[in-house]
Amino acid sequence: MLRIRELSVHYGGLCALDKVSIDVEAGQFVAIVGPNGAGKTTLFKAISGTVGPSGGTIEYKGRDLLAVPPHQRPALGIAHVPEHRQVFPSMTVLENLQMGAYAPAAAAQWKRSLELIYELFPILAERGTQLAGTLSGGQQQMVAIGRGLANVPELLMLDEPSMGLAPAVVDMIFDRIQQIHKERELTILLVEQRAAEALESCDLGYVLETGRVAMVGDNQQLLNDKRLQQSYLGL
Amino acid sequence: MEFGIFLEDAAQALATGILVGGAYALMCVGLGIIFGSMRVINFAQGDFMMLGMYATYYLATSALVGVFGLYAGPAVAALLSGPILFAFGWLLHKTMISRVTGARVADMDGGGGYAQLILTLGIGLVLQNGGLILFGSTPIAVLTPLSRQSWEVGTVLLNQARVVAFVAAIGIAALVNLFLTYSRIGRGLRAAADNPVAATYMGVDVTKAHRIAFSLGVAVTAVAGGLLASSQSFQPYIGIDFVIVMYAGVVLGGLGSIMGAFWGGLTIGLVQQLSTLFLPYQLQNTTIFLVFLLIIFFWPQGMFGRVSERT
Repeated sequence: MLRIRELSVHYGGLCALDKVSIDVEAGQFVAIVGPNGAGKTTLFKAISGTVGPSGGTIEYKGRDLLAVPPHQRPALGIAHVPEHRQVFPSMTVLENLQMGAYAPAAAAQWKRSLELIYELFPILAERGTQLAGTLSGGQQQMVAIGRGLANVPELLMLDEPSMGLAPAVVDMIFDRIQQIHKERELTILLVEQRAAEALESCDLGYVLETGRVAMVGDNQQLLNDKRLQQSYLGL
Repeated sequence: MEFGIFLEDAAQALATGILVGGAYALMCVGLGIIFGSMRVINFAQGDFMMLGMYATYYLATSALVGVFGLYAGPAVAALLSGPILFAFGWLLHKTMISRVTGARVADMDGGGGYAQLILTLGIGLVLQNGGLILFGSTPIAVLTPLSRQSWEVGTVLLNQARVVAFVAAIGIAALVNLFLTYSRIGRGLRAAADNPVAATYMGVDVTKAHRIAFSLGVAVTAVAGGLLASSQSFQPYIGIDFVIVMYAGVVLGGLGSIMGAFWGGLTIGLVQQLSTLFLPYQLQNTTIFLVFLLIIFFWPQGMFGRVSERT
């Protein structure tokens, strides 16, 4: 579904991604783990088009994604749930969710999408008219994920959904992501610093270090890897 | 006896203030749309209003709008100046403003703010002096019989041209607010204003959203100018006075809020007229400066300041 080949991104003279190659098959749950500054968020921005790569290719469903303008990528079925949630603070919860259905195809299914989002996160139904900027971090994360789902995506990209949240809330969010993946057979690309949780959920994992793919494997391979256990899993 | 006269004057100033405030509110909404969605410091807004006044003047005296008669003609002309200035704003954004705004300048010195300041000041100067060449320096007004007729409510005289302008201004401000609140494009504009990057992830073309916001803001202020033109004489330099009025209104209302810009503008109109009770007529803009300073000093977030985001 998503084929990234030798993707490089430079910020000025700084190399953020160095010839990264990643594959995501339809229906897969792929996790990308790694420390701060490994280039995880940059990778997502390159897929969404808010950062321009200096080299390499991104193919989505056989199509050259880099030739598609950033604002037209959501209509292809790519939903990006960004780092730090980035809800629209002065808009209501309902308006935020509706922004996810901005593309015409998603707008046509908006009513059904909203039901599904409220089923997944019932608290949002109660908060519909509240300004998203006044929600707690966990609720904002639910809005951000719900907003992504409103796009009726085929590929859901989640950038550090656990960031800054209480442990109980993190568990709940990860449960819901698993649920979305299993029940709707949605393809998921997850970026996380919490390597243990992310690798347990995934089919395939990549370890990104200083802009390079340091390791790749299925979850058992990675969870049992000695070096990985020491540096990321705290075992 | 003395006090009775003062009360009559006060009632008159209050009524005039509210009527004038309607047009001020609308012009502030125009600036508010631009500042709220693009964060552009735009010093040419007063000159866009001046263009709206001249567009209204030439339309009102043209054969085309002449068919609406002396009464409805000027109002129709003011409304028609909107689409004309919308197109002007569109071109201006496409050729110049977009070069110093949006993603392109996010990492420029001061977020592109300096470039925006210089550019809009420059545009303002070109429009003012271009206006002198094209329109001449003689003050003119859009003449309508309504300007010289009043309705009497008790001892208060309501100038009919001002009443028409007030009603039209409130109506347009309400329409603009409905558009921004409930339409798909309006939601897209507000999302792009809140967070341009996240809006892109939703599928909003942020450059286009900014272009629509800028053109709409120019058009709304131009119509406000056109409505004002039947009760106020103008020349190509009138924008300088009004850009101050607009910023005072927008800041008073709370930067980034359209509702705030509306109420702020109305308040400024009221303050300007009420000041004539105590101060010579020539000092009415001084009061606006004073209010502006007081707001910044004591109440910088304004009436409808933005909600702050929890972190």
